[in-house]
Amino acid sequence: MANTPINRLIEAFHRLPGIGPKSAQRFAYYVLRAPEEEARDLADALIEVKRSVVLCQRCQNLTDKNPCWICLDESRNRTIICVVEEPLDVQAIERSGGFNGLYHVLHGVISPSDGVGPEELKISELLIRIRDIDKEIIEIIVATNPNLEGEATSMYLAKLLQPLDLSVTRLARGLPAGADLEYADDVTLGRALEYRQKV
Amino acid sequence: MPSRIPRVTKTVAIVLKSRRLGDADRIITLLTPFRGKIDVIAKGLLRPRSKMAGHLEPLTMTEVLLAHGRTMDLVTQAQSVETFAVLHNDLQHLSTAMYLLELTDRLTVEHADATEIYEILERSLRALAREDGIQLVTRRFELDLLTVTGFRPELDRCLETGEPVAADEAFWTHRGGGVISSDALANYPEARKIDSHVLRVLRAYQSLSYEEASRIRIDPDLAGRLEQVMHEFVRTQAERDLKSAEFVEESRRVSLGVDAESDA
Repeated sequence: MANTPINRLIEAFHRLPGIGPKSAQRFAYYVLRAPEEEARDLADALIEVKRSVVLCQRCQNLTDKNPCWICLDESRNRTIICVVEEPLDVQAIERSGGFNGLYHVLHGVISPSDGVGPEELKISELLIRIRDIDKEIIEIIVATNPNLEGEATSMYLAKLLQPLDLSVTRLARGLPAGADLEYADDVTLGRALEYRQKV
Repeated sequence: MPSRIPRVTKTVAIVLKSRRLGDADRIITLLTPFRGKIDVIAKGLLRPRSKMAGHLEPLTMTEVLLAHGRTMDLVTQAQSVETFAVLHNDLQHLSTAMYLLELTDRLTVEHADATEIYEILERSLRALAREDGIQLVTRRFELDLLTVTGFRPELDRCLETGEPVAADEAFWTHRGGGVISSDALANYPEARKIDSHVLRVLRAYQSLSYEEASRIRIDPDLAGRLEQVMHEFVRTQAERDLKSAEFVEESRRVSLGVDAESDA
């Protein structure tokens, strides 16, 4: 492919996750046909996000202020930390409106088949934070995904945090809204029965 | 006449790993008895209402219906047969199971008969779930898997001379693939003296039946040295670091640390 500006743009879009060659071409031609102002806005947004967004020194979430607004918010419950895999999980839990504590983002999950062990995650930052910064913490909620890697990570964290005399909990597991019992796997159904609630 | 590939096949499989494909799909690596290791696509697995998600989790034995695709087969139905649920309740058991899956993945090739490998993995996961003992299950698994994949370590005779080597006088070479006598040291500069207790236990694990081997009692210190030798050996044969081996060691360190503190 010739090294022309349009081909360079197609190639740049193609590098994005989940974008195939056809989608990359469509995006590139959309940008070409769009007003110059729109293209400039896109370029500015890309450059700004790279320049201004950093990891919060406390919770490791993505932020343009350090510490982030959640860590600085005095109205939040500062005795609970919810540990999540990715920054997107913070957004999902915030959207639910069911949690008003602090967060800690691991930036991944223990996944040996992908070459990720505990040392690749922000676990040491969590320990330092609990010991030296947020000393009033009494509960850690491990909100990793309910899969093999998420379970390994939550069990590892529970063992690691046990000497600190904190309450370590994890999100309940059961059937998602709209699910069919008929298609539920044994582990999910077993947990749903184990943690059943009074109606 | 070339045999026609059936449009749909049904097989039992153990899920070795999975990786994301686009927004909601996943590529699942399955170990099947007759088709060996295969990558298949499972559509919509990341959607909350997916009917197959729980049945295609790694460390699940599952019966799948596969539609033949041009590059990869598509999973159209999945029903878990065994979820090894008890392994999900303990960090050391779970990390060991992850190690068994990763080692199987590393030492097997795609689209080749894997009946024996499948049996070894299934048997080992069931033994682990029965709480037969992590050391016994893991070391037997490693030795059995290495044997059927052509990497069987030579534990009794010198690799160079073919003569029997006494456990007290044996040297160990990962690269060579087993023990050597002191006479052969010149050709294996990386060889090191092997702990005679470690070698005796490995010999017993390799030659005795599973029931006989299960009667051998080993203390935690010896277990650690056994693990070290075998992890080094499989790393060399797999030609790469096994992250799950490191995680097994780290899980034991964390678990023992906690237990030691609670005992004190």
